[in-house]
Formats: sequence, structure tokens, C-alpha cells
Amino acid sequence: MNIVRISGHAGTVPGENASREYAVAKLIDVTTCIGCKACEVACLEWNGYPFRETVFDNTYQTMPDLEWNYYNLIRFDEHVKEDGNLSWLFRKDGCMHCAEPGCLMACPADGAIVQYANGIVDFNQDNCIGCQYCVTGCPFNIPRFNKETKKVHKCTLCSDRVGAGLEPACVKACPTGCLHFGSKDDMKELGEKLSTQIRDNTSHKNAGVYDPPGVGGTHVMYVLHDAQNPERYSGLPRNPTIPLAVRIWKGPLKWLGNAAMIGGILGAAIHYLRFGPKKEDGPHA
Amino acid sequence: MPDRIPDRLPDEVVRYSFSERLCHWVNSATYCYCLATGLAFYTPHLFWIAVTLGGGATSRYWHPVVGVGFALTAIWMHRTWISDMHITALDREWLRKAKAYATNDDANVPGQGRFNAGQKVFFHAMFYGAAALLLSGIAVWFPERIPAWLRSSAILLHEAAALVTIGAFIVHLYMGIFVVPGSMAAIVHGRVSRRWAAAHHRLWLKSE
Amino acid sequence: MTNGWIDIRNTDMMLIMGGNPAENHPCGFKWPIEARHNRNAKMIVVDPRLTRTGAVADLFLQIRAGADIAFLGGMIHYAVENGRIAREYLVNYTNAGFLIHEDFALPADGLFSGFDAETKSYDRSTWNYQGAAAPGALPGTVGFDATLENPQCVFQLLKKQYSKYTPEMVERITGIKRDDFVKAAELFTSVRKDGDMTKVATIIYAVGWTQHSFGVQIIRAAAILQLILGNVGRAGGGVNALRGHSNIQGATDVAGIFDNLPGYLKVPTPADHTFDDWMKRITPTVSKPKEWDSWNYWSNTPKFAVSLMKAFYGDAATKENGWAFDYLPKVDREYSWTHIFDDMYQSKVQGLICFGMNPVNIGPNSQKNIDALKKAKFLVVCDIYPEETSSFWESPGITAAQQKEIQTEVYRLPGAGFAEKDGTFVNSARWLQWKWAAVPIPGNARLDHEILSRIFLSVRELYRKEGGKFPDPILNASWNYNTPEVPLLSEIAKELNGRDLTTGQQLPGFAALRDDGSTMCGNWVWSGSWPEAGPLMQRRGTEDPSGLGVYPNWGWSWPMNRRILYNRASADVNGKPWDPSRKQIWWNETAKRWVGNDVPDFKVDSPPSDHMGPFIMNPEGAGRIFGPLAAFADGPLPEFYEPVESPAKNAFHPGQSANPVVKKYTSDHDKYGTPEQGFNVICTTYRLTEHYHYWTKNNPMNVQLQPEPFVEMPVELAEELGVKGGDQVKVTSARASFVAKAMVTRRIRPMQIDGHKTYQIGVPIHWGYRGIQEDKGKTSRNLINSLSPTVTDPNAFTPEFKGFLVKVEKA
Repeated sequence: MNIVRISGHAGTVPGENASREYAVAKLIDVTTCIGCKACEVACLEWNGYPFRETVFDNTYQTMPDLEWNYYNLIRFDEHVKEDGNLSWLFRKDGCMHCAEPGCLMACPADGAIVQYANGIVDFNQDNCIGCQYCVTGCPFNIPRFNKETKKVHKCTLCSDRVGAGLEPACVKACPTGCLHFGSKDDMKELGEKLSTQIRDNTSHKNAGVYDPPGVGGTHVMYVLHDAQNPERYSGLPRNPTIPLAVRIWKGPLKWLGNAAMIGGILGAAIHYLRFGPKKEDGPHA
Repeated sequence: MPDRIPDRLPDEVVRYSFSERLCHWVNSATYCYCLATGLAFYTPHLFWIAVTLGGGATSRYWHPVVGVGFALTAIWMHRTWISDMHITALDREWLRKAKAYATNDDANVPGQGRFNAGQKVFFHAMFYGAAALLLSGIAVWFPERIPAWLRSSAILLHEAAALVTIGAFIVHLYMGIFVVPGSMAAIVHGRVSRRWAAAHHRLWLKSE
Repeated sequence: MTNGWIDIRNTDMMLIMGGNPAENHPCGFKWPIEARHNRNAKMIVVDPRLTRTGAVADLFLQIRAGADIAFLGGMIHYAVENGRIAREYLVNYTNAGFLIHEDFALPADGLFSGFDAETKSYDRSTWNYQGAAAPGALPGTVGFDATLENPQCVFQLLKKQYSKYTPEMVERITGIKRDDFVKAAELFTSVRKDGDMTKVATIIYAVGWTQHSFGVQIIRAAAILQLILGNVGRAGGGVNALRGHSNIQGATDVAGIFDNLPGYLKVPTPADHTFDDWMKRITPTVSKPKEWDSWNYWSNTPKFAVSLMKAFYGDAATKENGWAFDYLPKVDREYSWTHIFDDMYQSKVQGLICFGMNPVNIGPNSQKNIDALKKAKFLVVCDIYPEETSSFWESPGITAAQQKEIQTEVYRLPGAGFAEKDGTFVNSARWLQWKWAAVPIPGNARLDHEILSRIFLSVRELYRKEGGKFPDPILNASWNYNTPEVPLLSEIAKELNGRDLTTGQQLPGFAALRDDGSTMCGNWVWSGSWPEAGPLMQRRGTEDPSGLGVYPNWGWSWPMNRRILYNRASADVNGKPWDPSRKQIWWNETAKRWVGNDVPDFKVDSPPSDHMGPFIMNPEGAGRIFGPLAAFADGPLPEFYEPVESPAKNAFHPGQSANPVVKKYTSDHDKYGTPEQGFNVICTTYRLTEHYHYWTKNNPMNVQLQPEPFVEMPVELAEELGVKGGDQVKVTSARASFVAKAMVTRRIRPMQIDGHKTYQIGVPIHWGYRGIQEDKGKTSRNLINSLSPTVTDPNAFTPEFKGFLVKVEKA
């Protein structure tokens, strides 16, 4: 695959735009997800992670949260609708593969996070220094830290499979076909088509595609029954952006800091040339 | 002076006791390590520093640990010197004349106690900078237990605080090494000549 | 399934009820989703709980468990009252216009005509068409009224029967608000709006319908609804049972039940003295209006039976000895699953061999079954995991002293898992699909049929050596395999297809079967699956020339690769498809044949002018709205009865609340609870998508996804009990108690049943006392079916697992 951006990396990106690759995307049609968790299992099996002991927690959800070796969790959420009926929502949670990835922006380690030309944002644990700035940079709260290895992990969108021309493991395993994979353009079109169909033929008049512009769009998108209220889907952010503090930190503050540091050193040097040292025994009147 | 008096020549006075010097150098060593590794995390153009110091992961591992050391010695230093660091009317007078001091027009600079106002400002900047670095650093250290807004604010604060200390540090280093001959020797050996003391800290020498 | 999984994508309307395909058939659930994508199909889900199927439905209604007939009767009522019926279909393809015996009476007081309170059974002679010559036989010619106006015609009786199933009554009984019910009825029957015949609706169900003391009648009600709407035989229509095991359809086809022989042949009884007696009794004769023609395909029964006997006994079955009729056991009474265990509990059954079955878990009233096993002399269990049945002697509550008293000798045989062996699965769509072993058999495990073969050969050897009371059936059983100890599955499959004994060639299909002993066939419905051309079930052709998802070259579907049963009904009386965009078969006047995208389930050269009925397996040729004579034990038309344990009296006839022909067992374990005794909460059982029956509690992956048993209960009930999610609760029925953690949810709501606030709870079935969590002591190690009653449907003998009474307490 073709890399376009590398975290913490000075200079040009090797192989940038060296070959043609189209942007890929996964489209999650929440309206036809049945919460079967086949994607969770496929993810574990493809990535070679172990099954773990879980505890009943008054929910169908496998466990409370993502973990460093559990990239993909269906979140179960219940809401009483306006008409008094209950809606039971299943949202497959995992990395959104932002076009403008906050994790990558925040990451100081050379080559720990790469963004490929096809849109996949991948973590390279060999280069990860374990600072977890990516956790802070992520508007979706996705990266998870392995305390033992001091490395951060998240969904790779099966970059290994995709690089070999396959679809991600979760998509392969999805029995209802609520997970779609293809070019970003095709997935957007499909998402719009599905949303239109839902709006026209069901009571969900606010159906729409979740492809938040605040992070430049994502390479994992949702079709939601109610795109006006993404928070209903276990707290999907309404308008996610890279946190302001991270943007200040990596933007103005950085340039200010650079200028100040360089200016300070230069200033000292010029000062020395102009005024030189003080006399050791004080002013000579 | 509670410490043992260093051997000194008749025309010398003790400026820094052993414990003061130890405190200063431990503090500065930890600071320098954090500065170096911090700069590596600050910009990709300096990431080579982390590589040089054993690799990114190693640097990341030790940076907060050493940082805690820095913060602790900053407290030690504070306890040691705070009594000499209160800003006085004299200091305000000195600050008004700071330009004269900076342009080596030292004849027009009022006589100073043990520390001049510039040193005092540096002292306070470093101490509060260290406090800010410690608090924000803890938040950055354990991000998973901290709410997102606090985490990102902490990163911002950590970096801003670091920049303040770096600015102060550049001045401190420049002054100590280049501008005021004898000050480096003072913080190393602890002794200064009476002449030096009279020139730079006249009022202190009188009280000595 | 009358249709198939893929065909669901052709539908316009789905009623999913008594089933939870999103959770229990997730792979098949892609087809309902496709129907929605391709045709904007609507999905109505009716269930006691908001399931994951309900979560993605267009309309979800919460029904009281066991009230399904009231709901469906209400739908029939709505369709008839609002003219949402397929009139041409009804008149020409069903028995709606047939005239019924004058003495037949509808169950105004809860009883159809002919009830004998003594024996709790019906004299069904009045459940007949007019003009029968003999009391127990259908008339050759049936009176017929094409106007459907005659008050004795089936349609008028239907109308009368369901006139009381008003939306108000539906609400009283089912707990579904009147408006919601009408919304659902309007939506579902909208496919027949203004008599338009192009649209099609399907009904999809599973064991949520079968597991009742009136399960068959629920499915009958669904079939009637589909017949009056003209949805049977058509792409996107039908009455579709979703099978819960990969091969349960196959097990049914080869007669895994006492009252059938392979291919749905009825078993002989002691009254059948000869083969001919037997044939005479079970071979139907044509019974139809004089204007009609009827193929009456079961008239071929003797061909199927003789060929089966030749498969069973080979050369030992001759015309002279009545095809070895004497070798067949004569079934003198009911021997269903619950009967076997009741007999064992009474020490009549002394040994049990279990293959692919875990009876301690699967049966109702588990403690009775455990106690029955204690009385057996031997128990053989072939399984792939240590399971509850072979561990019955160490089930919770048994002391060491009691264990010493158990004399049952238990054998555990390590069988092979499904992925460790070749062979066919027959899926819900009746497709035979061959699969190949994916992994080698581990350790000392053996193929199940090798174990069976070795047992058989050893038993036969004993008979050969020691004689015995009647060794002939054993000694003469046909066992012509290359390696008798391990028959090849291909040898068995070829035997099931059948062979011409003269030429030695594989038969092309059941049309080639003969009743003169020149053919043999192990299961006539599968005949044609392995002809001379080879194993058709191994085909993997992905061509779909019609674009309707027929895939005629993928696997093989019984009968004769027909993908949709009764597909003659997909065309009008003149042989033109109802919907030109979903053509199944049609009459080609030039070729004088029925042709089409599917194999015609019909006499291919019978022109529409002959008016042959499309339902060729009925002697009438008609779809049966009225099920005459012996078709059903409990009524020719479905009537709503309360479950045996119910919180309410039957709102139609409180004097006859439950199904009158259902028999209760009388052992000391067979207790039945009433609301008066404090059992006032309805309990239903179900499966979760994360588990597969009682197996996957041995698999860390499934255990991770759902680690332990729980009791799903409404928030309101939990509040009353002071229970929070995760607290232990004790659920008690008249038979036993069950302890598990509470899952407090809004997905089950309190209901108003006949004016009373009524709670339902649900408990998944998957856990027991053997498994990963169980063996670590991390669950309460009890069996949900210890709660359920031993009471069964009188036709299919399926226990009433859905909807029995319990009380719930904080544990």
C-alpha cells in the first residue's frame, strides 16, 4: 500500500503518490445490523487475539469498552422513542479511519502511525513509543494502550487483508451484509442510496450517512436511522473534530515555540556579540 | 550556613553550600534530560535526540520518571532558596534598571543581595513551570483515566509550561556561562572572590 | 419451508412471528434484508420480547406468549371482513368452496363436534365434506360452490369461525393494543389491496410456534391466512419454517419420529394385518369437486413403501411375504420423546442410546428426565463434549450416597463433530447440500455411523449366535456396504436415492419407483438426488437464469429439485403467472406443457382447462383451509386455546380454556401450576445468537460473547421485586426452581391481558451443569427446562416450552 502521511516524521514521505490507489471505505449500515457480533469474533480470529473471560453486565454487549486487543465492539443502546416504543440500537464501534486523523497529528513517534493513500490509518507498534498522545488526539476515543508492551493498538481496517485485495475480516463475516467495503466514493453513494431508501420507505425520515466533515470525512462511515442525533448510538459524536488543544498544540503553539526558542538562542548570541561578558570584578568606574 | 565551610582562600566567600550545589545539579540534570527527550517528542526534526538516548520508547518511558525527579528537586530547591527569593523594593528598583544590567551598564545597576531580581524571576518561573509540568505531566502520563478535555488541555499546558521554562533556561544558561564570568565556577565550587561578590552581590557580601 | 431462504428476497411483506431469525438464523437473515433493499419489503415482527429481529423491523408488536392463534385468527378476520382476499385463488386452488358435512359444528363453547370427554379425543367423522360414503373416508366427489356463498361451504364456516376474533378480542387475549393490531393487519393484508394479485407476502416462523400445546394449529392458522391471501406457491410467499439445526429438516425427512417412516410414510399399526391393509389405510383416494381434476400424488404410496421395504430388507422382502411387512414394528400408541421418558420414569424403558442429543437439557421437566435416567439399566451417549445427559448422575443436588444408589451403566462414546465428517445437510429450504470434512477426527473419536454400524453388526452377531425371539428383521436387514463397519456416506446416499434392481442403475427420481419389487429406495422424497449422472447435492452451480434466486444447479432440493412447493399456484387458472416479474412456472400452449424457472411441482402435461388442483399432495388437489377427518387431532380449523399453564381463562370460552385433546402426564413429577397458586408470571424460553443450543458453552469464543445464564425481565417487575440488573433471581414453576442473574430491561413490557396487568419473562436455554463456566463453578449450574411442563402438542408432540407459569423472587 501507498503511504501518504507518517507520524512524527521529518521530511518527505517515501513513496508518496508513487502509484495509483483509490481511497477505500467501510460502510456500516446500522439499520440492518442485528448485533450478532460475528464481526467481533472475526476481528479476534484474524488478528490472533485470545478470547477472554467476560462477566454478565445486564446487557447483551460483550464487554463495557474496547480493549487494546479488542478493536471492534458492538455497542447496544436502548431509547424510548417519541411514540413510546423502544428502539434497540446496535452500533459497531471501532476506528473511523479519519481523513484527518487526530491520532496521527498528535503522535510524536517517527513512523508509529501511517496513513495510506487508500485512507487506512494504521499503527505500527514497532515505532510506537507508548506516549498515548494518539489517545488524546482521537475524537472518537478509540486507541487503547497495552500496559505490558507499552504500545497502543486499534483497528487496522485489516490493512494486511486490504493490501492483498481482500475485504476486512469483519466485513467478510457479517451475515446480513450490513457491512460494506469498497471505494470511498462507492460507499458514499451506497450510503446515500440506502439512506434515501430508508427515508422514503420507513418512518425514519432523518436517515443519513455519518461521514463527519470535522475530521475531513472518515473511511469508516455509518448509515444511521437518525443522522440528526448520532449521540443516540452510544455517544457517537455529533461533530467530531481533533480537540482544539491538540490543534493549538500542533499548530500555533508549535510555531510560537519554535520562534521563541530559536529567537532566544539567536538573541543571546547577538547580545553576546554586542555587549559581551560582564567584568568579573564589577563595573570599572 | 549549616554545611561544612568549603576550603577557601582568604579573599573568597562561600556562595553556595554543598547541598545547594547538589540540589542545583540534580535539578538541572533531570531538567536537561526532560528537555532533550521532550524536544524529541516536540518536533520530528529533533526526534533523533530520542533515538540517540536509547530510542523513542525508552525516552518515553524515562521522561515522566525523570520528570518527577525534576519536580521533586524543584521543591527541594524551593525550600532551600525561597527565603532569599522574595521580591523586595530593591528588586523592583533593579527591574526598572534591567536595561542597564542587560547592556552591561552595571554602574547604573543598584547593588544586589544574594540574588538579583533576574535570578529571582528565573527561580519562580522554573518552580511554577515545574509545578505545571508535573501536574499536566501526570495527566499526560495516564491518559486513559483522565477525561478527554482534561487530557488535551494538559498536553497544551505541558507544552506551554515547557516553553516558558525553556525560554528562562536559555537566558539562565547564557548568563551563567557567557555573561557573568565566575558564576559557573561558583555553582561548581561554591566559592567566589570577594571582589566578585562585591561586584555582583554587594549587599549580600556586606551581610556575610 | 414451502419456499426457500433465498426466495425471501422476492417478497413484498414479511410477518416474522414465533421465530427470531436475526438471532437464530443470522446468515439466513440476509434475505429479509435483501427483500427490504430490493423491493422495499416491509417487516412485521411479533414476539413476546423485543428481539434483535424486532429491533430492525418496520413494525414490532409485543404479544403474550401463546396467544398467536388469537392474533392470526384476527388477521384472518380482518382479511375476510375487508375483502383482502385472493378470490380466484381461493375458489380454484383451495377447498374454500367445498361443502362440509351438515353435522359439523364450530367450537362455540370451545369444542368442535364429536368430542368424547372420556377419552379426551374427537370422533372426527363430521369433520368431512358432504356426501361421504363411509364415516372415515373422504367422498369421491365433493359438493362445491364457486360463489362461496353456501353457508356450509368452507369459506362461510371460516368467516363464521373467525368472526369472533375482533380487534377487541385480539387485544384482550394477546395484549396487543387494538390500534397496533389493526395497523399490522392492514399492513400485512395490504398485498391484496383492491384484489391486486401481483404482490406477495411471506410468513416466517420457527419453534416459537411449534412449541405449544396447540403448535400445529398456529401453523395451520398461518397457512390459512396465506391461502386466503393467495400467497402459497409463489415466489416471495409461502409458510416458511426456519429450522434450528443445520440438518433438522434431514432428520425429519428420514423420520426421526415414531409415527413416520422415511419420506413421511405413516407407520403401520396393529390393525394393519398385512402389507395391503397398511397400504389401503394410508393411501388416499381422490376426493374433489366434479369440475376439478386431482393428481393425488400420495396414490403412489405403495410404490414408495415397497421400494422402502426393498431398501430395508433387500432380497428378504418379496411379494410373497408382503415385502417383509411382518418385520416392521407396529406402532400401537404414541412413542414421542416425552412418552419415552415417561415410560423410562415408570421403568418400562430400560435403556437409551443418544446420538447428537442431550435429553437432560432439551426435554421439558428436566428433573423428571434425570430421575428417569436413574432408573434405566444403561445409557449410551455419543457426543463431542462431556454433556449433561451422560453426567446426569452428578447433576446438582445429588449426594454421594445417592450416587451410589444409581445403577445405570453409562457409556460415553466420542463421536465426530459436523466439521469432521462428510455428508449432507438438508437445510430449511429442503436443499440437500453435500459438505466435506474440514478437519480430521480427533483422538479416539469415530464417525457416528461407524459407531452405529459396529453396534448393529455386534447385535446381529449375537442374534446369529443366540437366536432370540424374532431375529429375522435383524438378520435380514440389508447391509450391503463395502466395509460394513464403516459404510461410505456416498453408499448410503445412493441407497437413499434408490436403484433399479433389474439394471442396477441409480433411479432418476421417484417417478421411476415401482411397487413390484423391482426398485429400492431409502427415502422417496430424496429420490433424484443421486441419479446415474452423479451426486446432485454436490453441485455448486451459481447460475441463476431467472434472477429470482432459484439457483437450480446449486445442490439439490427435494422433491425433484423443486425450489418452491405448489408452484402451480404461482399462475392463475389459465396458467399465466400472477406477477409477470416473478414468474415461477406457466402453461406453454405450444408445447402443451408447464414450463418455467422452477421445476413444476405439478403434472407437467395437465392443461389449465383440466382444472387440476395445485396442491397435488392432497387428495383434493386443493389447499386445505378446512383440514378434514384425521388431518388434525384437535380441530379442522384452528381455535384459540390457552396454554396449559396460563394466567387467564380463555376469553372465548372460559369453560374450555386449554386445548381439549391435550393429555397431561400423571407422574409425581408432572405438576401443573395455576395463578391461584402464585404462579402468575409467563415464562418463555429462547436461544441467543451468541450460542448454539447446549454445545457452545464449551467454546471460549461463544462463552466470551454471553458468559452466563440470565433471566430477562421487565423493569416494572424488577422494581416490584426490588431487583437490579445482575442480582440473582429465583424463578419457580410448579416443577422446579431456576436461579440466574436478572437482566432488567424495557425490551419486555408489562401487558394487559383480559384486563389484568401481566408480566412475561424470558430465559435463554443455553446453559446447564457442564461447560467452561459451569465446570469452573461460575454459573448457578441449573437447567432452564427443569421449569417447563411435560405437555405436548397433540399432533406433533412438541413440548410447550413457550409460555408456562412461574413466580419470580429475589434469590
